[in-house]
Amino acid sequence: MTVGLVVVSHSRALADAAVALAREMAPGELPIEVAAGVDGGFGTDAVAIAAAIGAADRGAGVVVLMDLGSAVLSAELALELLDDPDQGERVVLCPAPLVEGLVVAAVVAAGGAERAEVAAEAAGAMAGKLSQLAPAAAAPPAEASVAGVQARFTVHNTHGLHARPAARLVALVREIDGPNVQLRNATTGSAWVAAGSLSAVATLGVLQGHEIEVAATGPGADAAVEAVAALAARSFDEPGGRPGGGQESHFPAPTGPESGFPALPVPLAPGVAVGAAFHLRLAAPPVDDVPLGEPAAERARLAAARDAVRGEIRAAAAAVGAAEAAIFEAHLLLLDDPELLEPALAAIDGGTAAARAWADATSTTATAFAALDDPYLAGRAADVRAVGTQVLTALAGPAAAPAVPAGAVLVAPDLTPAQAATLPAVAGVVLGAGSPTSHAAILLRARGVPAVLAALDVDDGILLAFDGATGELAVDPAPEVLARFRERATDQQERRHAALARAAETAVTRNGVPVLVGANVGSAADATAAVGADLVGLLRTEFLFLDRPEAPGVDEQEAAYRAVAEAMGGRRVTLRTLDAGGDKPLPYLALPAEANPFLGLRGIRLAARWPQLLADQLLAAVRVAHDTPLSIMFPMVSVLDELLDARRALEEAIAAEGRGTPPELQVGIMVEVPAAALKAEQFVPHLDFLSIGTNDLTQYALAAERGNAAVAALADPLDAGVLRLVDAVCRAAGDRALVAVCGEAAADPSAAQRFVRLGVRELSVAPALVAETKQTVRGLDLRE
Amino acid sequence: MGVGAADLRRWVGAFADTVVANEQLLTSLDSAIGDADHGGNMARGMKAVVAKLDADPPATPAALLKQVGMTLISTVGGASGPLYGTFFLRMAQSVGDADELDTAGVGAALRAGVAGVVARGKAEAGDKTMYDALAPAVDAYDAALGGGELAEALRAAADAAATGRDATTPLQARKGRASYLGERSVGHQDPGATSATFLIETAAATLPAP
Repeated sequence: MTVGLVVVSHSRALADAAVALAREMAPGELPIEVAAGVDGGFGTDAVAIAAAIGAADRGAGVVVLMDLGSAVLSAELALELLDDPDQGERVVLCPAPLVEGLVVAAVVAAGGAERAEVAAEAAGAMAGKLSQLAPAAAAPPAEASVAGVQARFTVHNTHGLHARPAARLVALVREIDGPNVQLRNATTGSAWVAAGSLSAVATLGVLQGHEIEVAATGPGADAAVEAVAALAARSFDEPGGRPGGGQESHFPAPTGPESGFPALPVPLAPGVAVGAAFHLRLAAPPVDDVPLGEPAAERARLAAARDAVRGEIRAAAAAVGAAEAAIFEAHLLLLDDPELLEPALAAIDGGTAAARAWADATSTTATAFAALDDPYLAGRAADVRAVGTQVLTALAGPAAAPAVPAGAVLVAPDLTPAQAATLPAVAGVVLGAGSPTSHAAILLRARGVPAVLAALDVDDGILLAFDGATGELAVDPAPEVLARFRERATDQQERRHAALARAAETAVTRNGVPVLVGANVGSAADATAAVGADLVGLLRTEFLFLDRPEAPGVDEQEAAYRAVAEAMGGRRVTLRTLDAGGDKPLPYLALPAEANPFLGLRGIRLAARWPQLLADQLLAAVRVAHDTPLSIMFPMVSVLDELLDARRALEEAIAAEGRGTPPELQVGIMVEVPAAALKAEQFVPHLDFLSIGTNDLTQYALAAERGNAAVAALADPLDAGVLRLVDAVCRAAGDRALVAVCGEAAADPSAAQRFVRLGVRELSVAPALVAETKQTVRGLDLRE
Repeated sequence: MGVGAADLRRWVGAFADTVVANEQLLTSLDSAIGDADHGGNMARGMKAVVAKLDADPPATPAALLKQVGMTLISTVGGASGPLYGTFFLRMAQSVGDADELDTAGVGAALRAGVAGVVARGKAEAGDKTMYDALAPAVDAYDAALGGGELAEALRAAADAAATGRDATTPLQARKGRASYLGERSVGHQDPGATSATFLIETAAATLPAP
């Protein structure tokens, strides 16, 4: 449990700004409550402070930071006003200066420290400033020190050797690998420490202006000292570190919705949601005290857990911007830090369980960090604890998913496709990162879960209301605002009921043109949910292939496809062959590491390298096609030869089955590559249909990557360039082939209208949206 | 005849009227040595108190005093909020569930309130605070209590408060924001002692049953 913080200030603006500053240093779930201002003006309110204490206390108590005068008096009075009189014993009123104290308290509390420690660290927050501004104490004379090559340099970085420059230094020393490199802080007269240990370097307490000595012995000692001195001369490659570089912020520039600058919510999945906020968070992992095996086995368990975490950290680093990735670099170094690893391994050899040994080693180091005077270094305690917890989680094995209360609005930084695909019944989802075309958003739309993208800083239980179609969002809405959201929800429900009542009828425009409305599904369950669908316009088969050590066999595939066909009750199923690669790597395919996987080996391009994969899938499809109307669709086709090769593979599968060509078998391609759209007439003689994947077509045509929030707005499927590509496909197809749209845009009424006007005669949408898309078609009049 | 909820309501109403009428005075005193918010803060708080009491009239002295204290805590904003709020809350505790207070009961309640102000503000005599008016007031009240008359005791308390208030002028502030001014706070009458004197003077004017 985390200690909560309460900020008491005369000024709401001051308090909010201080909290924003603290959250920059300690991102995450830390409960920080503000009690500031009275009636929109300056002042403090003991009743509000008591309420804030109640809200911030998650059981581990609260540390209260105050500005001046009545803030202190009101905070003291608030302790007499608490609902739960015992709670007063869990509250510490901290005499620290507000801003410095809050920043330190947030970092220490986020690291899991107890309230007394948090308060003590915060109260010491002035130390860094004092030592900076007071005349430096005379350094003791340098020791005779170590032998070997030596050099001396001054640290100019604004915050001294805080995490990032220290990590850079440690990484360099480890790369050199050979000489024994040591450092000492000549200004404070510290002892020599290993330069290859991040935690050891941090204990040097290096502040701006301190003189550091470096010494190296052994092979390559000269080069090592030279390299360290050169790095120091470059201010450890930190932009803010150069002497005379002006005032540089320690904080990374805003890079997106998580930057702390409130960005407007971006609509992700339509629907109105009203519910209490609930953060998706994982419980602290259990620490097992009993070894499961011999020391050698426990060592192996720890190594495996660290490997797993290394993978997680790299994946997380790859998902964020370069500025934030530097933090993960520090975490990677900590994972291999001898200061953590050696005591842990020694304890394991002495018969301690791996989890207990690792927990003790990380907690000792974290406490040592937290005790340092400099708040930036003390903040490294949080890094050590974070890495410590991650490894303990990996050691504990897969954890049960946290129970999300039904009807809540889930607030999460992001969701993995698996999480988005397995969410329980929530009212809606607010994501901190991603874009409308991220996999999480696609899956939420498919499941009919309203969602928006917004940077939200709310506590659990705060009422949220939003409209996932427009992006409007209200935190703790006033009654009249809430009423408007509820009214809108009712309207939508009524429209939905009206749509469902006519779902089974064919959708025909007002001037009599029938348009097929299909469903995009990934399983038989999805197909069952697609009430009123004329067909499955897209059966994604990746779900069968992901998260398993080997590819599914022909029989397994046949059973899965047959289940979907049966759920559709004899209506047509459009099976897309495996669209792996890029974002969806498979363990049993040795996919090469690609700099740009979306322009790499994926879709039908895989078939050239792994022909058996396609052959098996086609054989399973052919078997099903003998019993039910089936269409086979090849993804990511760029040139005619790819289609002709795939058709040959299909002929071979038909021959292998030996029952002749299934009478209702149809063949088509996905149109995602702009070049394929522009030369569609080459493909038309060789197929029955073309299905436009507007998600990928849009991202390729506009060179705007899906899932990158910074360019998400560019990826507009109604961009004139994209519409021309759709038009080109429709004109090439004429009456000879059906043109479908199976991208997300097919469910957008204004987009659907444009597509149908251009000649699209099939719209395939998420199962939950089939009925409403049919209503959209019924409202169209192509003569207008 | 003792002092009941209706009497206390009259006192609080008169204190509110006086504070509102003297808002400018209190503010100008505070602008000399503080942050010029005492008049506005107290007027806002006491208006809220009166509105609250009118909307939901408490039946007993304790309930009334508690409601006054809680309202001040939430609406004044400055240091006077927790200080006056504590004053009334401690009075409420002191009167317990009595329906009426006798002269000794009023004295005990006032002393409890002043003790609360000391505990909250850690002020001592001569710090140039509201305590410099309240402390001599309760002492004078207790001294006059021998006579047994509430009116006399309150009159003595009000006079002592006014004397104490006037005596703050030459003092150097040692508490609150005025203390930042150091010697520059000398020569100005303390705004807190001024409003505290209104509190006792209005008690003297209203509490003896008419």
